[in-house]
Amino acid sequence: MLGLPRRHAIPRELIENRYLEFATAVHPDRFVGESLATRREAQEVSSRLNEGYRILRDPIARAEYMVKLAGIDLDSSDPTTGAPAPEPAFLVEMIERREALAEARASGSSRVDAFRAQVEDEVEGELDRAVAALEIDEPSRAARALVAHRYLQRLLQDVDGQEIGV
Amino acid sequence: MSTALFQIEEPVAQRPSRASGGAGIGIDLGTTHSLVALASHGAAPRTLADAEGRKLLPSVVSYANDLPTVGYEARAQQVSNPAQIISSVKRFMGRPAQEIDFVHPYKVASPRASGSGVIRFEVGRGREVTPIEVSAEILRVLKRQAEQELDRPIAGAVITVPAYFDDAQRQATKDAGRIAGLEVYRLLAEPTAAALAYGLDRGGEGIFAVYDLGGGTFDISILRLRAGVFQVLATGGDSALGGDDFDRALAAHLLVRAGVAHPTAFQHEEARMLARAAKETLSTSPSTSVTLTLSPLTDYEVSRSMLEHEIESIARRTLDPCRRALKDAGIRAAELDGVVLVGGSTRTPLIRRLVESTFRHEPLTDIDPDEVVALGAAIQADILSGSQRPGVTLLDVVPLSLGIETMGGIVETIISRNSPIPISARQVFTNYSEQQTGMVVHVVQGERELVKDCRSLARMELKGIPRLPPSMARVEVSFQLDADALLTVTARELMTGTKQSVEVKPTYGLTEDEVDALVMDSLDHAEDDFAARNLAEARVELDRVVLAVRSSLSEAGDDPELLTPDERASIETALIEADDAMARTATPTEDIIATSAPVGREANASFPQIQTNLQRIRERLEAVSEPFARRRMEQALRAGMSGKSVTEIEGSLDEGATLDERRGSHQPRLPSQ
Repeated sequence: MLGLPRRHAIPRELIENRYLEFATAVHPDRFVGESLATRREAQEVSSRLNEGYRILRDPIARAEYMVKLAGIDLDSSDPTTGAPAPEPAFLVEMIERREALAEARASGSSRVDAFRAQVEDEVEGELDRAVAALEIDEPSRAARALVAHRYLQRLLQDVDGQEIGV
Repeated sequence: MSTALFQIEEPVAQRPSRASGGAGIGIDLGTTHSLVALASHGAAPRTLADAEGRKLLPSVVSYANDLPTVGYEARAQQVSNPAQIISSVKRFMGRPAQEIDFVHPYKVASPRASGSGVIRFEVGRGREVTPIEVSAEILRVLKRQAEQELDRPIAGAVITVPAYFDDAQRQATKDAGRIAGLEVYRLLAEPTAAALAYGLDRGGEGIFAVYDLGGGTFDISILRLRAGVFQVLATGGDSALGGDDFDRALAAHLLVRAGVAHPTAFQHEEARMLARAAKETLSTSPSTSVTLTLSPLTDYEVSRSMLEHEIESIARRTLDPCRRALKDAGIRAAELDGVVLVGGSTRTPLIRRLVESTFRHEPLTDIDPDEVVALGAAIQADILSGSQRPGVTLLDVVPLSLGIETMGGIVETIISRNSPIPISARQVFTNYSEQQTGMVVHVVQGERELVKDCRSLARMELKGIPRLPPSMARVEVSFQLDADALLTVTARELMTGTKQSVEVKPTYGLTEDEVDALVMDSLDHAEDDFAARNLAEARVELDRVVLAVRSSLSEAGDDPELLTPDERASIETALIEADDAMARTATPTEDIIATSAPVGREANASFPQIQTNLQRIRERLEAVSEPFARRRMEQALRAGMSGKSVTEIEGSLDEGATLDERRGSHQPRLPSQ
């Protein structure tokens, strides 16, 4: 996209610059006086460009999209082309982590903070792992890391989400 | 300000001008007052004054007489006739009655069973008006002011809106423009307008904060400018905080000094008016004296430091949103390149000091903070009305997420907050039984997870779904946000390919038909004149397309990549046909409307017939030149790519298509209708 190589590790600066060049060239304001068809076209092309930019600038969306290009759709549960099912051991671990969170919560906010910090590190770790796998062209490994990433992200949301009520 | 401030030259050699060529106006439609400004053909923008030399028009509309009156006169009657005189109508725009949580003196009509939830004020004599119509009255006055100044009709305007305005509020503003007889070229975010007025693009690059403190609202925006593009990075604010609070605080102090413990409404009003005057004086002098007539207070000395003591805690409440906006934008104060002040309340020296210490920059103040937004809007209006003014491209974001209701009243986000616009998204819905031939899609806007916590925008009914076994029908609904952040919805059935009719019923706005009816009303002429106007518009449209195609043809030259000789020939044929039609109907627009007599050689044809004919010719011209336009667009893209091959661009667009599919394959379950 944007004439950039299909890689995850692209400097943010480069994405931004390319996006701005393109967005300026096709923005509907540039075609104000022109025919309806041209204006509609400008709106369509701009929309697609903006949608692509939204994914490119978000490292997680970008990684998930690259995995999707390799034929693995993390939003689908199809056994062959969908998200890989996590290992049973991982699921058991997630249940235990939730219990640990409940315990941490019972014993005070500093324990919860420590818990959050640890999960945050792990979330980043999984993303790094996914990016590394994409760099050596192993999309299925990247997909597994991204599934774990989603689980951990949800756990992180629970840490913050439930705290509001406390 | 001269055009030399705009250093970024755009590669588009010439824009075909609209019929109105450069007669676009900029309007700041404010809560307490409104302004119109003009910047024709690259000239420095200037605000326009009324016959008495006043630039600010109070945003107050009186329905006390037969015809509505707007401005100072209306404001003067307010105290004696509060229910029939509408002020601060902006706070009602696009909002449902149940969300109006502030006190107001108006009588709100109970919602009509058939209509939407739009608020209707009862203004006497059985008359009901919506906030949209009230705003249209204000716009009409400003439009007339500009027409008197220019001595010719105004075709279009750029109207500013707060950056945080949601779809319903923007749509309401745009509808008000249409009812006032204006083509709304663009709804422009107020902070972006202010940045344009300052010509912040003169430096080429930078990140700027726009601090906007009005009478009743506070907004903060962080903008980034680079490579000729303004991007909104973050916005925030407080919709119930403004300079009026300063007046109230000082008024309370005055009343305490006067020893009045329980002031009457009149005493209160007097103290507030004098507090306001004192506050304004203290912006430039260190002290002033106040004498109340309704309360015992004579020659009371108020110093600037006393005022500041009273208002400091209120003023400081603007700082949290500032820090949050910086954080949302992911930058530190030191990284800013400048701070712009907007709104009369920023004249207060304390505000300037607080802003300076929070953003670590001395704020820019050389443009009148009351006028700066209208001036920026005028610049953009000039660009969009086809003048040769080189301009920046404004890339805006949608301020609030857009979602749809799914099972259990949960919001499924389809376009998230701060996404760059225009943008589109698709969702595929399915049927739950063979009997189902319709679906209801409920669109909401907001950041909360439950539908009841978000703003309801519209309910759409999809009809004519073919009878198919459960889950076999696939209805793809496309949501398109345009460059004004306004939503349009289209739908089609994927199995059979039939287009669905989508009936959009805005929850708190007017339907297309209602707006059309009001536009008709506003013409205060018979139907014939309406037809004449339509015909005039058809001519303008055709003329515009002819100009655009001609200028693209000459730009393209003999480039075989853009245009084959055959194509050129068929475009030329369509152009000749268009010229002929234009010549046959050539009569000055004003005459057509004024005489409403049949025109030229087509004397036997009715206006609607001529209009249809012109439309047909225009459509044909657009159709034959469409592939050519598409190729030019691709070339524009390629120009941005410098050195990349066409295959790569096409590849990148294909990826975009794949992406749409991925979004489309996701199927939320809808509540049954």
